[in-house]
Amino acid sequence: MTIRSVHSSRMNRRTLLKGSAALGLGAAVMTKARPARAAGGKVIIGAFADGGLAPFKEKIIPLAKQEGGFEIEYLEDEYGVTLEKWFADARNSAGQYDLYLLDDPWVPQFGAADVLEDLGAGGIDGADADWIGSMIDMGYWPPRSGPRVKGFESAPPKLICVPFVGDLQTLTYRNDVYKSGAPASWDEVIAKGKEAVAAGTIKYPVVFRGVSGNPIVTSWYPIFLSFGGEFFDDKWNVTFNSAKGKASADFFVGTMKQNAPPGVVEFDSDQEGAAILGGDAGAIIQYSGNALKADDPKQSKVAGKLDFGVVPKQEKAIAQMGIFIAGVPKSAPNKANVVAFLKWYTSGATQAKLAEAGSIPVRRTGFGVAKPGNRLIPVALQQLDAGALPRPRTPDWAKIEELLGIELNKALQAGSGGGAALDAAAEKATAFLKQVGYYP
Amino acid sequence: MIRALGRFTIVAFVLALVLLPIYWMASTSLKSNREITQEGTLYPHHPSFENFAHLFAYKRFSDYLLNSIAVTIISVLVALVLGSLGAYAIVRFRLPFSLERRVGLSLLILRIVPPVVILIPVYLLILSLGLLDTWLGLIIIYTALNVTYCVWMMESFFREIPVDLEEAAMVDGDSRFGAFRRIVLPVAAPGLVATSIFAVIVTFNEFMFALVLTSTPHAMTMPRGTATLIGRIDTDWASMSAAGVVGALPIVLFAFLVQRHLVRGLTLGAVK
Amino acid sequence: MNRPGVRKERLQGAGLDAALPYFMLAPGVLLVLLVLIYPLWDGLRASTMFYRFGNPVRKVGFDNYIRLWSDPQFLNSLWVTLTFVASAVAIETVLGLALALFCSHEFRGIRLLRTILIIPMVVTPVVVGIVFRLIYASDAGMLTAFSEALGGGAVEILGHPVRAFVGLVVLDVWEWTPLMFLILLAGLQSLPIEPLEAARVDGAGPWRVFIDHTFPMLRPIIAVAIVLRTIDAFGTFDQVFVLTHGGPGEATRLLSIFGYDTAFKFQETGYAAALFVTMGLIILAFTLAAVRLLKRAATS
Repeated sequence: MTIRSVHSSRMNRRTLLKGSAALGLGAAVMTKARPARAAGGKVIIGAFADGGLAPFKEKIIPLAKQEGGFEIEYLEDEYGVTLEKWFADARNSAGQYDLYLLDDPWVPQFGAADVLEDLGAGGIDGADADWIGSMIDMGYWPPRSGPRVKGFESAPPKLICVPFVGDLQTLTYRNDVYKSGAPASWDEVIAKGKEAVAAGTIKYPVVFRGVSGNPIVTSWYPIFLSFGGEFFDDKWNVTFNSAKGKASADFFVGTMKQNAPPGVVEFDSDQEGAAILGGDAGAIIQYSGNALKADDPKQSKVAGKLDFGVVPKQEKAIAQMGIFIAGVPKSAPNKANVVAFLKWYTSGATQAKLAEAGSIPVRRTGFGVAKPGNRLIPVALQQLDAGALPRPRTPDWAKIEELLGIELNKALQAGSGGGAALDAAAEKATAFLKQVGYYP
Repeated sequence: MIRALGRFTIVAFVLALVLLPIYWMASTSLKSNREITQEGTLYPHHPSFENFAHLFAYKRFSDYLLNSIAVTIISVLVALVLGSLGAYAIVRFRLPFSLERRVGLSLLILRIVPPVVILIPVYLLILSLGLLDTWLGLIIIYTALNVTYCVWMMESFFREIPVDLEEAAMVDGDSRFGAFRRIVLPVAAPGLVATSIFAVIVTFNEFMFALVLTSTPHAMTMPRGTATLIGRIDTDWASMSAAGVVGALPIVLFAFLVQRHLVRGLTLGAVK
Repeated sequence: MNRPGVRKERLQGAGLDAALPYFMLAPGVLLVLLVLIYPLWDGLRASTMFYRFGNPVRKVGFDNYIRLWSDPQFLNSLWVTLTFVASAVAIETVLGLALALFCSHEFRGIRLLRTILIIPMVVTPVVVGIVFRLIYASDAGMLTAFSEALGGGAVEILGHPVRAFVGLVVLDVWEWTPLMFLILLAGLQSLPIEPLEAARVDGAGPWRVFIDHTFPMLRPIIAVAIVLRTIDAFGTFDQVFVLTHGGPGEATRLLSIFGYDTAFKFQETGYAAALFVTMGLIILAFTLAAVRLLKRAATS
């Protein structure tokens, strides 16, 4: 072979290699040029990472495949990112999800934007008496009762979300500190807690979340409700800075902080969880996420010493309810699959299995099981009957919560001025609501 | 003697400051969540790679890694090509209305404005093209961002090359473009390398656009995937630190391999 | 821009050669026009509208911009960003210069130092956020672990506004001082040796040599480094997103984070667009001013 022909054959091979590499790459890019699409019994679920969904993830998803042939793609993301991601997805019909496991305060925002499927029309019966009333109520937009935001005064309520996993605040307490059962009042929580600190059983009577935004507002809310506070009136005027509201805020940033770990201002779920599960704190109001870890010796240093009860009372004993609620975007790629999945999932039989797996169910049948997977479930029913309220049903809740959270956090850092913080927040909130047209 | 000792102390001190945070993240990634939050040990008492295995088995990190590598390589390559062509045109040709100077200037201005400024409109653009959560969507924006940088860098490299080389080639019968390909590019090769290294690092590490333009492991990149573990509820410190290690390792290894060129590229922009 | 000795070609030749420059410029320019310029324009347009849940409702002209300047949250973000950028860049420059001077003569270990110093710059910014979150966390963090090992209590950083802010500055200094170091070192090494040698021979001490000779020659490079770093610092997003997401309260809420929340969390798209345009203008103004100052200093 001449040098030239060797050279040219090598060139040809090189060109062939380059060409096929380019083709392969091009093909790969083309397959990834379209978003992932439907296939079989596929259901794409978006969820934020939360311990409350662990039983669903671990026990129900395999069950769904077994019993219903549903192939669930479970996409988890961080709580702080999911609201905007899913809302953007729905509003822009991007079609990346079939189902969002929303935090219930987000329902009004999705409802007002009219981006979710009418599940009532899709065959899910919202009037079924087996539903826990307060939970299914949260799935309607506009809400079936209570004040309505402007523009929706006369619209008929549509069922746009169905409750998915129940969750609400309950009290978790150390039974070696509160020996005669769950403390009934806030005074008892603090008093007995202080005794236990002196005795060395615990380091702090209480612990909660102080981080600005959703965490601190959620920590303050049950105290606010128990002091008899009301957030808005019928006309959406801000009333959380009433005398009762301010009293609750002063109690929160004052007494509560003094009896909590020093870093509480920075605490979020994991830190407050570590405090109670590690044995340092005497009592905590929390959702099921961390509560479910109480009995697991791998996650709790005080397994066996933690019990659950109804939240303490000042005037009332009302907890905040915050369920995982599922909505289907109008742009869902596998709509038929997801509706079938929801029907299967919310049936009494599956809800019973959910309860056995350890999550709070959303139908009465689920609460009736003989062997609930977690001691929390009967207590949850108790609290539901004693009183549990969701957050106000307004699409602007995220902004209001943010404004309130900032002020509360400032006051918490200072250790005083809770009432003043509420006034400041009320002013800002009113200005904002006025700007977006709430008040005529 | 004292000088040498003093020097040694300073070097050791600086190295410690730089490496301590890295050590901490690496050692945390070898601990279990319980050890991290409840025991607060200074080094892992029972080191294990379980967190890493968990990332790849359950948290789709192999997907994120693949997406990152593919998107980075493609967008940098395309940007290099487009950028070199454009830079050459700006340096060598005189177009009517000083067009080439204007283009060069506008690209420079684009380099100045922080990308966050166009975050929302780009999201809407990619959405309207139906390219959300795809490789192509990311490649488009990354290539555009890299082109501005590539043009800027290659401009200064091309300016260094005397015209005589190409003129000699053209006298010998080569076309303009042929001269560019056969003479100029090889000479400017170090510049291409330096530019591409920097572009690779910046593109691989990009987070903001990935945050907004991707949502599923179908197209999520490594930084974006790492963020799914940040968690404010239920912070999984073990997974988070392992994700940090996995996220940083490829780029740090890459940087070590090419550090000579890297330093050249970084400082060239400023010193010129 | 045009160095002597580099000639530019006037368009000549026929056919393909004449059109060549346009062909070479076109693809890049088109891409940039579509993906960068058009969105910039779109953002300007969006900033003049009032959005509700991502939908444009009505045109409001400059109202969004006016509202910005009376919005305490925006003003706070602006203040936080300015103080962050100023302190971080100042510290990085000083430390980077000190390190560069330290390394200006070869010695054993300098290669190792330069290699290791690359790490903070190239590690993914999101990961840098994670690294420092792991340091500052009051329960699982490094500072707390060290403190408790020495008998102290938990160290709280991220819960206190001032400390969280300082923590953020420390993060930025850790991450970007190496860049300043590298640029300034290259600058130092490119300086002519003779004037410095001459001064030293004349008996001037090292400090005098620095003040009278090194620093003035280095000034333009220092200035360029500062400008580049400042521009990038304004756009800091990833690390803050991971470390504090603007908290506690609003203590670390840079403009970028506030804008992101406004656009994506609260769906006030138009308002956020106005914020970003304003931010871009501020940076542009700063850069132009800096360039003008540089030009004046160079000619004086």
